[in-house]
Amino acid sequence: MKALAASIEEVFREAAARWTLVAYFALSSLFILVFAAAVNLDVVDGALAGARLFGRSIDLGGRSVEVDQLVLGFESGFSGFLYLVGTFLALFATAHLVPRLQEKGTIDLYLSRPVGRAPLLLSRYLAGLLLAAANLVYLIGAMWLIVVWKTRVLHPRFLLSGVVILFTFAALLAFAFLVGVVTSSTGVSLMATYALFFFGAVLAAHDRIAAAVSTEASARVVQALYWVLPKTAELGQATVALVAGKAAPDRLAHFNAAGVYGSTALFALVSLAAASWIFSRKDF
Amino acid sequence: MAIPIEAQGLRKVYRSRVRGRAIQALDGLDLKVEPGEVFGLLGPNGAGKTTTVKILLGLTFPTSGSARLLGLPAADPASRRRVGYLPEGHRFPGYLTARQTLEILGRMSGMGAPALRRRSAELLERVGLERWADVRVRKFSKGMTQRLGLAAALVHDPEVLLLDEPTDGVDPLGRREIRDLLQAEAARGKAILVNSHLLSEIELTCGRVAVLRQGRVAAEGSIEALTPKTSRYRLVATGVDESLLAAFRESGATVERVNGHFDLGARDLDHLNALVDRLRASGGRLQELTPVRSSLEDVFVGLVRDGAAKEGARS
Repeated sequence: MKALAASIEEVFREAAARWTLVAYFALSSLFILVFAAAVNLDVVDGALAGARLFGRSIDLGGRSVEVDQLVLGFESGFSGFLYLVGTFLALFATAHLVPRLQEKGTIDLYLSRPVGRAPLLLSRYLAGLLLAAANLVYLIGAMWLIVVWKTRVLHPRFLLSGVVILFTFAALLAFAFLVGVVTSSTGVSLMATYALFFFGAVLAAHDRIAAAVSTEASARVVQALYWVLPKTAELGQATVALVAGKAAPDRLAHFNAAGVYGSTALFALVSLAAASWIFSRKDF
Repeated sequence: MAIPIEAQGLRKVYRSRVRGRAIQALDGLDLKVEPGEVFGLLGPNGAGKTTTVKILLGLTFPTSGSARLLGLPAADPASRRRVGYLPEGHRFPGYLTARQTLEILGRMSGMGAPALRRRSAELLERVGLERWADVRVRKFSKGMTQRLGLAAALVHDPEVLLLDEPTDGVDPLGRREIRDLLQAEAARGKAILVNSHLLSEIELTCGRVAVLRQGRVAAEGSIEALTPKTSRYRLVATGVDESLLAAFRESGATVERVNGHFDLGARDLDHLNALVDRLRASGGRLQELTPVRSSLEDVFVGLVRDGAAKEGARS
């Protein structure tokens, strides 16, 4: 346990020393500042002041909308944007964890200690998750507090978006670890994982793609790939639906299904198990 | 008591991924290092020294054969609980200080914080880095990094030490200090395996050596046994003139003047005594007469050349 805690601590020290952690939090801070500046615009202030003065509704293009409803709509929509930004930033900050561990002269130092290879790899994975989780708490927590301070509307479901983002990131990081173990390259890990993200998103239209392909076998391959790969588009929609709660439109309701989470979790488990298996059998 | 380092019939074949070509790094290597022994592993590049050490540490897996540390299979992480390793070309994280490096690696070996604090301070002083304890490793010279590497290998007070080129990049004074440190650890009963190209260092540090050639042990034994006395002597004397040298040669001796002394070859002990009597009879005075041993380098070069010649003859 001491050994694994030391390994996790080392990842955080490295992230801090190499400016990864600083850049990661600096970018998040930039988003928070832009967001704070945007909600501080005169037009927003005016609308909110009017709403407070004349009741809890705002006139939007001739339609009267409750402030609570407006905040909920904004937060759920914005959570979709955060899903993309949060996942990409987290991957960028952690994709190096395995390739750097496997560098000659470094791996010898760690593997010559009484630590199993799989626990060593999993400790790096856990460290990556903790790093991303810390950033998500900061980014989403700060934005939520700004909205609460500005609108006096307390809507904690917004914080749930962090859970889905972390879940998606966990699945993608597992794949990045697998590519990292095989190739020992941070660049290849990042490119492959981003490609997986977009390919998974494209496969959201699997039914239409399967109908358009020329052969039955190709259609089956498309359907199989859809169920094997992480459901990145659906998870983005699920983030929005989770934040919106009962107010979510019907078209988003099915995205929070067990199949979306279950198949993505299974992909992560298989990727991580394969990464551990290969790492445990590799000659250094 | 379990044997600290043991390898039996180790074979390792590396296969290239693209062409599937096989390269045999080890070919049935046997090795045993006892407690309190400093054992040197010698060999030309590609002889299998590093592969042997990597298999012992579980960094690489053997194709066949077995490797054990303190009685446990090398693949078992528990076998490394009481083993310290100094890799060649190690890369300590440059953002850590010397103290932090020892603390992180010590904790990875299962040490608790209070014991680690004491041990780190003690070791940094022992390797001469106490003034640099809180300086980031990226600012260290090669020799200082090597000293830190030795401290990292010793941090958890292991019973077995595996050292790859321990004096690489270290100045002569530092080399002497490292040699003394290794001798002190061996005197405490630790088994030490030193892998080095520096034959003079091995000669000064190790009690027993093995010379590897093409993945096998070509010669093994104590330094004394591997470097036998020859029938040659180093002679320092006054009153030696050309007529005396001519008389020596007439008696069947070989003699050459080399940098202020004579390199003297005698048939046997009686012949040597006769030469000394002759020197004295001609008014000369004997100052020094020392038997010349083959150096470890002579033995090493001989074994490697012999192997290359045999290989050439076979092909």
